Amino acid sequence: MDWTIWVEWLIKSLFVVFALLTGFAYLTLYERRALAKIQVRIGPNRAGWQGLLQPVADAVKLIFKEELTPAKADKLVFFWAPIITMVPSIVIAAVIPFGPTTTLFGRTIVFSVANINVGVLFLMAVASIAVYGIVLAGWSSNNKYAMLGGLRSSAQMISYELSLGLGFVTAILLGNSMNLHDIVDAQRNVWFAVVQPVGALIFMIVTLAEVNRAPFDMPEAEQELTAGYHSEYSGMKFALFFMAEYQKMIAISMIAATLFFGGYREFWFLKDTFLSVDAIWNIGPWQFQAWFLGPIYMLLKVVVLLFFMIWIRATWPRIRYDRLMSFGWKVLLPLSLAVVFISAVGVLVAQQFDNNWYLAIIPIFSSVAGLVAVGFVDQALRRKSYASH
Amino acid sequence: MATPTTTATLDLAARFPGAVSADARPGYKGWIVEKDKLIEVATAIRDEFGYDHLTAVTGVDYLPEGKMEVVYHAFKTTGGPVLTFKVQVPRVDPVEVPSVTSIWPGAEFQEREAWDLLGVKFTNHPDLRRILLWEGFEGHPLRKDWKEAFYEEDAKPFKSRWPEGKHVMAEEKNPFKDNINFPKDFDPEQWVPEGEAALYGALARYQVQEGSLKTDHIVINMGPQHPSTHGVFRAAVTVDGETVVSLKPVMGYLHRNHDKIGERNTFLQNMPFTDRLDYFNSMSNNFGYAVAVEKLMNIQVAERAEYIRVIMAELSRIQNHLVFIGMLGNDLGMMYTPALYAFEERELILDIFEAVSGSRMMCNYYRFGGVVRDLPEGVLEKIKGLVFERLPVKADELDRMLTENEVFVARMKGVKVIDAENAIRYSITGPVLRAAGVPYDIRRADPYSIYDRFDFDIPTRPNGDLMDNYLLRLDEIRQSLRILQQAVKQIPEGPVMTGKPQYQVRVPAGESYGRVESPKGELAFYVVSNGKPNPFRYHVRPPSFVNITALEKMCVGTKIADFIAILGVIDIVLGELDR
Repeated sequence: MDWTIWVEWLIKSLFVVFALLTGFAYLTLYERRALAKIQVRIGPNRAGWQGLLQPVADAVKLIFKEELTPAKADKLVFFWAPIITMVPSIVIAAVIPFGPTTTLFGRTIVFSVANINVGVLFLMAVASIAVYGIVLAGWSSNNKYAMLGGLRSSAQMISYELSLGLGFVTAILLGNSMNLHDIVDAQRNVWFAVVQPVGALIFMIVTLAEVNRAPFDMPEAEQELTAGYHSEYSGMKFALFFMAEYQKMIAISMIAATLFFGGYREFWFLKDTFLSVDAIWNIGPWQFQAWFLGPIYMLLKVVVLLFFMIWIRATWPRIRYDRLMSFGWKVLLPLSLAVVFISAVGVLVAQQFDNNWYLAIIPIFSSVAGLVAVGFVDQALRRKSYASH
Repeated sequence: MATPTTTATLDLAARFPGAVSADARPGYKGWIVEKDKLIEVATAIRDEFGYDHLTAVTGVDYLPEGKMEVVYHAFKTTGGPVLTFKVQVPRVDPVEVPSVTSIWPGAEFQEREAWDLLGVKFTNHPDLRRILLWEGFEGHPLRKDWKEAFYEEDAKPFKSRWPEGKHVMAEEKNPFKDNINFPKDFDPEQWVPEGEAALYGALARYQVQEGSLKTDHIVINMGPQHPSTHGVFRAAVTVDGETVVSLKPVMGYLHRNHDKIGERNTFLQNMPFTDRLDYFNSMSNNFGYAVAVEKLMNIQVAERAEYIRVIMAELSRIQNHLVFIGMLGNDLGMMYTPALYAFEERELILDIFEAVSGSRMMCNYYRFGGVVRDLPEGVLEKIKGLVFERLPVKADELDRMLTENEVFVARMKGVKVIDAENAIRYSITGPVLRAAGVPYDIRRADPYSIYDRFDFDIPTRPNGDLMDNYLLRLDEIRQSLRILQQAVKQIPEGPVMTGKPQYQVRVPAGESYGRVESPKGELAFYVVSNGKPNPFRYHVRPPSFVNITALEKMCVGTKIADFIAILGVIDIVLGELDR
């Protein structure tokens, strides 16, 4: 193994960590400004031009805040919980590809920190670890609100991770690989969100639950549990939870973009133009592949997906806990199973007849399944509303 | 013109010879019931005469006569004037009166309040504890022989501050800050609160054995510092997982003994003091107090002032309901979006309050016989612009924004708050009662001021769930706009005050019960005068306080999230809940 591979890893890791950390900082600003626009306010615009220094000011404030540890808290767990939450949210980004494979300086560069063949499994494994941090934080705080938040969180994650896993399976089936690079490449012609719209929609709903965002922000639930699992945390320890939440938002948006929205690949209408990531640019004497467009497309998609999360937070109330559970188990899980089954059948039929047009089975049948599920939810709500008569 | 509430023509004395006699004191009305016959008479009042709604229970300490009097005000939910009946007992401890909670459960908290502040022991009361004051409090402060720390005089203006205006701070009189009296044998260091022991100490009794599985319930204190209890309200909630098993409201963290301060004040000094009750609706509070005292003084209100009063009260209702809807969204976790949309409109209404009274929230605008000053130039046009153009559109906008939000509807529909029967039994008034399907609104049931001149509906909703409570507020906004549209067209020119403005009013001896439909329910003032410049007794019957009586009944069996929403729907304000 020659030494340059270490340099390559180092640069790529630094890039990813830097992107996530600054991304987190500016995501908070993005969210606050976007929320303000939706809520007919202005939002933070004092620190720096258009509030661009606001994250810095926040960070300085949080660093200098006193950190309190409750007297009867379990000190060790209380200390480790934010770290356990924080680390997976960065590690998870390791396998996400943010550019096409290309040749630079005579080396073949793969634009992900770790190009492993079971990338999807890695995502699932790491995504599940974060819940430990939340549960431990809730338990170790010796606070009833925090404990309820932690309990809610664990139950919610377990319920929604099933559907999340089935969402991954859909992408694996369609991409015919567990390697994320292969999955992105398989979307060269058409995004999986088009082939499997219901699967993509379920995935996006479930990711909201996975990162504890409204309307599934049960573990925090300000109006019910004050601040849920991080009630007792302050200063940088709190900031770590905060950071983890927002980094998970970014990471999960990157995953959604990778699995269903073509990842780093160009938009469909730019295919085969000079703005494609495969295009070869000739500028003067240099000839090179436009690989640098990959991260840009990725960023655009992530920003749009993040906007949806913010938009939902601004407009929807929190779903009640028991409804959340029954929605996860009674609606999303059967529907995702149906979606996986339909996807498998579609892929199989297309392979048998060797004609990719048979893949059209998938969106048609899964849309029907989705509509049936919506019908059931509607029925259930209707029944509830007239039960009181 | 204030329509006087006349006593019903029913003759209790003839029905219960010997047990009931008419109250013959000048300026007093109603019936005096023998203590031993109270339950019998009260049952008859409810069942035979149809007074199903006991709105107010309070007491008066007649120290000179050596009597303690408990006053009950009962109404029919079908409308009509008040039935006042009283029980008089000698002023010797223990002062005991039978509790009427078995007949009207809604009396529970008010009887606890009377025990707390006046020391009237209600026998057979299910849970007679102090409610507003803490357990280590010495004495019963509303008794006339109780003196507060740094007591100066019985009535304001205190001589020490007048005419030279010298004022000695209470703290300077007592450099050691040692002015607290404790009951005999009471050690605050060793003290374990009675109620708390029941809540925390006896957790074992909440243990449940389900088959071989042993589970615990946990007690959570929602409040007094909590983002959704609308102030320093506290509820000790026992939960089984997410389900509320039992709930005890704890209040009094904002208590300042409004009633006692009101007795020290002159009649007019109480007017700005009422602003501090329900600080969202100072106009309605002023209205209630003005109605009560005008009834005692027996004066007419200037015609133009009546219109201005109605306009301000209805604007106040609209802005209260706007805040309600916005904050309800917040309680459900909507991240302030509806709240900010609602506040945008509310600010415009507060602009009008500021223009007429000089203050956005503490208006102090009404006076006995009118209002303090006429509408400034241009304000009427502003109001017209609001009620004809802006607010109807914005009400529809809020309606569309929330009523068509599926998750919002899913959270609200089918979550029962209370049904009509229980709402009446628990003395609930205002929107919560109407959302349960009872068309009871004081503006129609017992019209005051000039509400009988306007054409408007009393909206009701059939289900009594959260959704109905929310929709009812929207309906009420629209009805208030209807009233306003008529009022701003009909408002006549003329003086805004009968007689000349004065600092001191002469109030003849007597009692009066003045009530208005405040945005939160029945806001009533029970004022007793003995002809002096200060009220002898000044009692507030706040809607939040009485509506909260049924909170446990509403919440048991629901989820924690629903408890928050139900608390939001009752629309409590701690300024008037704790007084």
